Amino acid sequence: MATTQTAPAPAVSAVPEIVAHGVERPGSGWISWLTTTDHKRIGLMYMVASWIFLIVGGVEALLIRLQLSQADNTLISPQTYNALFTMHGTTMVFLFLMPMIAGIGNYLIPLMIGARDMAFPRLNALSFWLFIAGGLVFYGSVLFSPPECGWTCYAPLSETTYSPTGGVDAFIYLVHLTGIASFLGALNFFVTIANMRAPGMGWGRMPLFVWTMLTQAILLIISIPVVAAAVTLLLTDRHFGTHFYDPTNGGSPLLWQHLFWFFGHPEVYILVLPGFGIISEILPVFSRKPIFGYKAIAAATLGIAFIGSLVWAHHMFTTPLPYAVLVFFSLMTFLVAIPTGVKIFNWIATMWRGTIEFRVPMLFACGFLGTFLLGGVTGIFLAVFPVDWQLQDTYFVVAHFHYTIIGGAVFPIFAGIYYWFPKFSGRMLSEGMGKTSFWLMLVGFWTTFLVQHSMGLSGMPRRVYEYADVGHLQLYNEISTVGSFILALGIFVTLVNVLRSVRNGAVAGPDPWQANTLEWFTTSPPPVNNFDTVPRVRSVEPMKDIRRQIARQSRELAGSSARADS
Amino acid sequence: MRVHVRPLRARSAIALGLLTAAAVLLPATSAFAGVIAPEGGGSPNADAIRQLYLIIFGLGCIVFFGVGGLFLVTIYRYRARKGAVPAQIHGNTRLEIGWTLGAAALLVVIAVVTFIKLPTIENPPNSGATGLPVTSNGSFIAQGASQNLPPNGKSLAIDVNGQQYVWRYTYADNDKINLNNVFAYQEMVVPINTTVTLSIRSQDVAHSWWIPKLGGKFDAIPGYTNYTWFKISKPGLYRGQCAELCGRNHANMTAQVRAVTPTQFEAWYANQKQNIIAADKLAAVQRTALNAQAARLAARAKVQNAAANAGTSTTIAPAAAAAAAGKTLFVAGNPATGALACGACHTLSAAGTAGQTGPNLDNVLKGKPSSFVLSSIVNPSKNIAKGYADHIMPNTYGKTLTKNQIADLVTYIDTSVNGK
Repeated sequence: MATTQTAPAPAVSAVPEIVAHGVERPGSGWISWLTTTDHKRIGLMYMVASWIFLIVGGVEALLIRLQLSQADNTLISPQTYNALFTMHGTTMVFLFLMPMIAGIGNYLIPLMIGARDMAFPRLNALSFWLFIAGGLVFYGSVLFSPPECGWTCYAPLSETTYSPTGGVDAFIYLVHLTGIASFLGALNFFVTIANMRAPGMGWGRMPLFVWTMLTQAILLIISIPVVAAAVTLLLTDRHFGTHFYDPTNGGSPLLWQHLFWFFGHPEVYILVLPGFGIISEILPVFSRKPIFGYKAIAAATLGIAFIGSLVWAHHMFTTPLPYAVLVFFSLMTFLVAIPTGVKIFNWIATMWRGTIEFRVPMLFACGFLGTFLLGGVTGIFLAVFPVDWQLQDTYFVVAHFHYTIIGGAVFPIFAGIYYWFPKFSGRMLSEGMGKTSFWLMLVGFWTTFLVQHSMGLSGMPRRVYEYADVGHLQLYNEISTVGSFILALGIFVTLVNVLRSVRNGAVAGPDPWQANTLEWFTTSPPPVNNFDTVPRVRSVEPMKDIRRQIARQSRELAGSSARADS
Repeated sequence: MRVHVRPLRARSAIALGLLTAAAVLLPATSAFAGVIAPEGGGSPNADAIRQLYLIIFGLGCIVFFGVGGLFLVTIYRYRARKGAVPAQIHGNTRLEIGWTLGAAALLVVIAVVTFIKLPTIENPPNSGATGLPVTSNGSFIAQGASQNLPPNGKSLAIDVNGQQYVWRYTYADNDKINLNNVFAYQEMVVPINTTVTLSIRSQDVAHSWWIPKLGGKFDAIPGYTNYTWFKISKPGLYRGQCAELCGRNHANMTAQVRAVTPTQFEAWYANQKQNIIAADKLAAVQRTALNAQAARLAARAKVQNAAANAGTSTTIAPAAAAAAAGKTLFVAGNPATGALACGACHTLSAAGTAGQTGPNLDNVLKGKPSSFVLSSIVNPSKNIAKGYADHIMPNTYGKTLTKNQIADLVTYIDTSVNGK
């Protein structure tokens, strides 16, 4: 069989700038997946693997909720409970959200900017396999003794004196391996976006999802080395006799908190900024309007990243910090609200006077807006440091960060799955199941987490394996547990939808949504070389331009043939 | 292109938001503590935090229901309908600058309100006229100067020390020695109408001191000292618990403050002081007696050993000497190296100890070999008795006791439990 095929000439010429001449036939069989450097295959593998971790982390969450459904419950031992919330948090952050976003970015960034692949395809494959290694090392600890120190892994609790087992070491290697994966991935994204954009796609014509991935890459490049240093110091403390975090020998436990949160807070934006980008792509398409204030949204993205890198100590308002430090970090946290608010107003203005079609991606985008809005508002409460003294480390905080992370990252990811699945697979997901999944997830989420604000206000700290039934605590917890199972059912419906539609969904065609960006210019799924011709980009919405051009040309064609007939 | 915002719609959405906010806010009195507002009612700083919270809650409701209402109106009004044409608007600079400034203005308001409320939260007031007359200058012995004190400098100073999994409270007195101070565990007794200043520390991992009705939480970080205060006006019990993950028993590290009248407090304080002096004396007597006994037995063993070496007779006396030395260690520990007495936490009928913190040794060591006893002392995590958490017992006995001391201790415990 011939190993190359010649690209067919496009029916309508869109002023080709780059034309592919010889294309390799895609390999098949599992070896070709193991050895692939194709950004689309790597992206798909990222997404599949992170879905597996989503299921594992989700089951851990349900076990936590089961244990808390009754006051003074003895279902799960304290040791197992501590391991469960540690695994849940770490899994969702490092093994579900980060690789999921890396997967979506991997698949879409080259397509959106009209590139052939990522800048460094083999480095890209290395990133993926390092992430897998990190996940395996971490979950290997389940066979011995999983970590019990929470995903924040505060010293000195994580030192050998108080955590003598290897669980913390598994956490350290997870952070290192997935950290290197993310760092290399970020470099790759940065170089790809900076150098490989289609002709005519200046900085001002880049899709907003690409802007958020670029910003996310910068945040990763800044923050990953810091957490790598933090866990390295922990490793040497634990095994090589140093005392960085050991106060009895001149070390400082606060050093860990500063280093961890210097990474940990930007991490929040690493998770939600790509979500914002996905929303900024979906809202205009389903409102049939251009995005409102493109420049403001792109600038707000950079603004959030910059200010968001200078707010880390708002996680430490209850530690012994000087007064001036409290005030500085409180005011900086206020400032983050401004660009975030700007984005929310711009999104609403994008829908204002549009014609909104409530397809499933749009439903998830709307679910994002309402949910994230409340997460943003409760963020203001926590930014005021005297108020934070009452709310810190309670279920109020648990509710807040689930509103921002599930609202700001998970809902957009689901919107993105429904929006881009036709591109990934060539087939549509079922609308009916999608709508069922959305409503179950929305109702389940609000039932689970709204009431958790009240738990915190009633005095329930986070990370407790049992509580006394004081006030209405047991009632609140029962409501929350019921909600969590509804949420899980909603996620399960999407999983079934994806598995069914891969083979049985309606055939999508290259551009089922009449969308705006370049990934819809090529076939679904795209060929190995992505584009046979890459058009010159003349605006933020190149596909709209191309559709207009085709309409004009066919009108002219019809007109000339009509003249010929007469 | 200009956006034609229909003023009525937008305005009615905002008005709706304001109304809803008011409807939610009006019942936001103390009856709703723990539902939509933090608890208060114990101390002025907790009440001030509550008031500040409620102001932000009001503003937050306006934002949430206002923006949320606008969002819902938008998606309802501009849903796709037959004949509707989307307006191709790319932006509106004036509008965008407007809402940026609007958001900033709201934050300025919150910042100003916060700084107005802050002194009430941060700075302790003087004790009331009916409070306990405190004579000391309030700051705890050997403390740093960064602690906020009442204007007259007088407060009841208590050192709060977090340890896995209990709080220890040491009351300041007028001398410079900290070892003779009155102390208590878990329940702190304080007089009403008296300003109490706390210095919060930890001796192992990070903990967090939190009694919701008496103000915010403050982390106890080993190597650092944190400060807070409260002033209770109503006698009663105020409950809280550790708020920073500190290990497996974190959920059970509770704390409570019992507020009583100054007279009752003075009686409790005097009683506590007497109890501590009595217990110290008793321990000293026991320690001397046991030391003497150990010395006697060691001397006798030396003699008998010499005899044994001379080939006259063999006895088990060395074991008896070892057992006596072991008993001393069991009851009194080894204060020089910081080895805590086993009997402080464990019940052992032979030694007459009745500690409840750890398992009852008469039960858990029954029928176990001496190797099990040894490993349980030097590596307590290896076998955890049912119903107890790991890491309660120090795992440092391998360092704080010598090899011979450990051997003596094992012999003593083994003989006492299994009678060999």
